Amino acid sequence: MADERESIEPDELADALADYVVRANASPRVQKTLAGWTCRIHISASDVDAAFTLVIDGGSAQPVLTSLDGTPDLVIRGHSFDLAEIFWGDANPVSNYMQGAITTQGRAEDVMRLDAMAMFVFLGQ
Amino acid sequence: MIEVRLNRELTQSGATAISTGLAFAAINFLAVGQLLQNVDARFAWVPIVVAGVVMLAVRGLFAELDGMRPSAAGIRVWLQQAMHKRVALIITLTYMTTVVLVIAADAYIIGEAVSWALHQSQAVAIGLVALLLVLATAINLRGIKLAGRAEQAATFTAVALTLVVGAIAIAHPSTDGATPLGTTGHGGWVQALILGIFIYVGFEWVTTNSEEVTRPAIVPRAMLLALGILAVSWSVFAAGMGRALSDSDLTSAYPQLLVAQHALGQGGMLLMLAVTGLTAINTFNGGFITLSRFMYALAREGTLPRPLATLNTQAVPSVAVYVLGVSSLVLAVVVAVTGSFAVMVSVGAALETGIYASAAFVVWRLRGREPGTPRPYRFRGGRPLAALLVVVFAALTLVAATSVGASTSVVPLLVVLGFGVLATAYVLLVVPRFERREAEELAARRAARAASRADRRARGSDDAG
Repeated sequence: MADERESIEPDELADALADYVVRANASPRVQKTLAGWTCRIHISASDVDAAFTLVIDGGSAQPVLTSLDGTPDLVIRGHSFDLAEIFWGDANPVSNYMQGAITTQGRAEDVMRLDAMAMFVFLGQ
Repeated sequence: MIEVRLNRELTQSGATAISTGLAFAAINFLAVGQLLQNVDARFAWVPIVVAGVVMLAVRGLFAELDGMRPSAAGIRVWLQQAMHKRVALIITLTYMTTVVLVIAADAYIIGEAVSWALHQSQAVAIGLVALLLVLATAINLRGIKLAGRAEQAATFTAVALTLVVGAIAIAHPSTDGATPLGTTGHGGWVQALILGIFIYVGFEWVTTNSEEVTRPAIVPRAMLLALGILAVSWSVFAAGMGRALSDSDLTSAYPQLLVAQHALGQGGMLLMLAVTGLTAINTFNGGFITLSRFMYALAREGTLPRPLATLNTQAVPSVAVYVLGVSSLVLAVVVAVTGSFAVMVSVGAALETGIYASAAFVVWRLRGREPGTPRPYRFRGGRPLAALLVVVFAALTLVAATSVGASTSVVPLLVVLGFGVLATAYVLLVVPRFERREAEELAARRAARAASRADRRARGSDDAG
């Protein structure tokens, strides 16, 4: 979590998330380890009007929707900067989560798998 | 907590089963045996019920903290909000040893119980302990866990059968030499109260599931129901054990089998063996999953070595599971060889009462620091009662750490101090290096990101121009 956080515009946040999805789908480790994982994730920024739906289906991330769609398995909320840092790969989700920078609703198992996805993506595995 | 619907929500019965199941460990049978060495068996229910009332206050503490910041990493998050991060981490790491302790204890108890039931030697018991832990490790590595409904069924079957066996033992004629009078002095009652508290230990771990509920009231209510279920079932079983067992039987590693044998014969003994197995399955299922994920999170956070964040192809933190399996095995074998299971009960009680003192401190501190933070559930009694609980639980920690059964002993204190010194040394000597590395890497990534965003903005301005 940054000490002086700037708000990230919804468009930039959407770009970061879209880029994250591309990288996740290109990661062989994500495809192998998370092959059995299916999860609908709602992501909301607390400081700007930005909300997304990310659907993981059998380990593959589907194109991001720029609204909250369907009933989620996992809900993630946080400051736009903290969310963007996760999608950029600068901060890891668990670290932000442990410091209370982002909050979640849903199973801890899904939070861990989302973090694992970020780890594989940004370690280039 | 903002109310939303989730595809997989934890229900009230599911949360109650988790809270009850986490506390309903096989080591509790030994704790009841020790409790009966301290008080008259006819009044064994008194310290259990009084402990239950004390635990209502603990439930209030955890409900307030959980309501403020529901998180699977609750204890870590709450502690670091209220105290220096290094102290918070030392307490967190020491707390984690309690889980290892309970896993090791349950493995040991199962090993002893099976070898006794099958008339085998202690070497066979140790072999069984090793086999159980290898099996638990292997199952966890494959990502297999009890489904919610199976977990509920296992918990309620174990509780119901324990209650039935206890009730039959009460109705059954008393054994010669049973109804032990224990040490009925004040010291005996305090020790019995601590053992009573130990019986409920773990019920608050349901707060690690609080992000899976959509109504904030579910977790506090689950803890309340679990306390009621535990109070009734253990009071009945303690009364039955008091009527069924002699003083020497109470000190065995499988008193529950002896009670069942007395009440229902060989078939009852085998039934109780199955109950012991069910409690252990719950402990292994909950303990391995919770702690290995917690270790993974701490490793990702940069406070435990990075290899602990290694995931296998099943997305299971494999190194953490191995570490957990091996450390539980080592501890269980040490206990089996030295026969020091009573020490484990005291160590577990001391660590948990210490955690309860910490939770009371956190409530007290956060009430002062963050009076305006929304609290869906407020601990009744406020800061004065929270402060009193800090003192009470600190005193109980000291008593638990200096007694084993009805005797005075500094061994538990030395073990607790040993855990504490190791955790402190690690946090003060090793963690700063990890943190420095993490901070440097984060700063470098942020600098690169800032440069790239600035560059993109400049190009955007140029294009617009």
